[in-house]
Amino acid sequence: MKLLKKAIITAACAGGILAVSQAQAANWLMLQGTEKPGQAARAKVWGFIQVQYQNDNSDANAAGTYIAPKLIGPNLSSQSAFNVNRARVGVRGTGMPLDSNVNYFLLLEMGNNGITEPGDAFAKMTDASITLNHIPGARVRTGLFKYPGAEEGLQAIHVFDWVNFTDVSNQLLLERFPNQSYTANIPPQPIPPTTSLQGFDDSVGAFRDVGIQVFDSFRVGSDKSWDLSYALMVGNGNGLNWSDNNSKKDIYAYFAAEKVFGGTKGPFRDGMKFLGWSQTGVRSYDGNNDGVSENYDRDRWGVGFKFKKSNYRVTTEYMAGDGMIMVGVANPSFGMGPGAGKPGAPGNGLLGEASGYYLEGGWRIGKSNFELDLRYDAYDRLEGDRFEVNFATWTVGAQYFFNKKTRATLNYASRDYNAPNFPDGKGPNAQLDGVDGRASIQLTHIF
Amino acid sequence: MYKLFGKRALALLAVLSFGMVSAVNAAEIKTDKAFADKKIVLQISDSDPFKQTLVLNVASNLIKAYGTDKVDIEIVSFGPGLRLLFAENGNKGRIQGLSSEGVRFAACKNTIRNMGKKLGHAPALNSNAVEVSAGVVRILDLIDGGYTLIKP
Repeated sequence: MKLLKKAIITAACAGGILAVSQAQAANWLMLQGTEKPGQAARAKVWGFIQVQYQNDNSDANAAGTYIAPKLIGPNLSSQSAFNVNRARVGVRGTGMPLDSNVNYFLLLEMGNNGITEPGDAFAKMTDASITLNHIPGARVRTGLFKYPGAEEGLQAIHVFDWVNFTDVSNQLLLERFPNQSYTANIPPQPIPPTTSLQGFDDSVGAFRDVGIQVFDSFRVGSDKSWDLSYALMVGNGNGLNWSDNNSKKDIYAYFAAEKVFGGTKGPFRDGMKFLGWSQTGVRSYDGNNDGVSENYDRDRWGVGFKFKKSNYRVTTEYMAGDGMIMVGVANPSFGMGPGAGKPGAPGNGLLGEASGYYLEGGWRIGKSNFELDLRYDAYDRLEGDRFEVNFATWTVGAQYFFNKKTRATLNYASRDYNAPNFPDGKGPNAQLDGVDGRASIQLTHIF
Repeated sequence: MYKLFGKRALALLAVLSFGMVSAVNAAEIKTDKAFADKKIVLQISDSDPFKQTLVLNVASNLIKAYGTDKVDIEIVSFGPGLRLLFAENGNKGRIQGLSSEGVRFAACKNTIRNMGKKLGHAPALNSNAVEVSAGVVRILDLIDGGYTLIKP
């Protein structure tokens, strides 16, 4: 069944290649991977800063200690914190402005988040890519960049309408890479913690990979109002790490069809988009703690829909995964409880399955600078496993736009986390019962 | 005597030549807007992409303000500004629209030749572009023809 779903998505991608009439309007693939022909600067400097404050109302467990979801990331050392979670500066353009066939994209992260916190890095390169636009219908992008995938991950983060990712994107797609050797789990910690709850050595994947992508976008239909996009990519499957740690490569496929309503351009374009994507790869890890690494399949796929017109926005996505299911940043063994170090055993995600979805929307109030947002997301981790956990979150939000480049985002997330196979206070519920709401406010400025 | 005559003849020839060149260039200013009250030449010689948008906006605003038949506009591009008239330029839709309203687009041959040396081939130009020998000379000729120069 999973293979059939992947085949359908991949076939859809192939169908996109057959389309005619090259598109000029932008979408995420085009916005991030290309420049406007004849218009791009040699080096356009840009970036953004996000400053936030978050407060978590969760209760400690019976022993007075906390798990990661009850603490503020990425440091996981407090239940309330100010943070400069993103501070990125980049440069993009065409090195030789006369030749629009070649463009580049460079972006450096200097904020405090899952990219920079592991290893306590001062800065980390998140994008460094070159795009060749010589072949009509088959642009080639190579280097480090966002891989084609789910809307929530592929979209530009500085126009993301929420402070935090959904649980399904955060846990299923925002990849935590296996450590070089088996690493024992970290128990819940007091405040302040005696041991860091971040069990992973490397940066989060940040929805990025180093590899090569063939892609393009085409306008079709009698009025050219449909924008078809495809992307096929081969990558290391090792996130922001420059090189690979095994000989297996990840394969990405993506297809999107968008009815463009017109009137707006760029990231705020009005339209109705349908998309599908898949990823398949292998991760190497000593999952059974015998001193030798084994290979574990990691497959992900999903479908999505986004509608945006005038003051309204609705997005929904469904995502599923097989293998390499993370069971928390404090569990770098990819196993919890008796599953730690035992691939295939209950509570171990190395061979596990998971799926989830979200539905979100926003309403810009008339011609005012205010927007109201509402989101529901659900994530079913370790489906069919005794240690299965259901994550369900309602988030209400409001945004105030000081201008087109500056906005404040206020969120309150009401979370219900539960292990259905255990009674209250037992098994994973001993930790999850205390999970409660989280308030956050974030100021974003783009330059 | 012969030398003096020769110098005078050369001077006369130079004056006549200049007059002929001016006459030829003046003759190149062809417009369908015989009743235009305003005659504007817009210069785009900057590499800044924003300037491309700005010069097109100015042309649009002039037409809105005075009416299509009452304003005669020519946009002269040279140097880095020639990218506005590249065939692939993202503004080609706007250029077509302005052209249909009588706006003329002049492309500097000197720039085309120099860019061709760097590219290895001459850049493909927008079909609405008309090549002129030199962009700056074209501007001076237009000024002589009663046009007002605006460089947004």
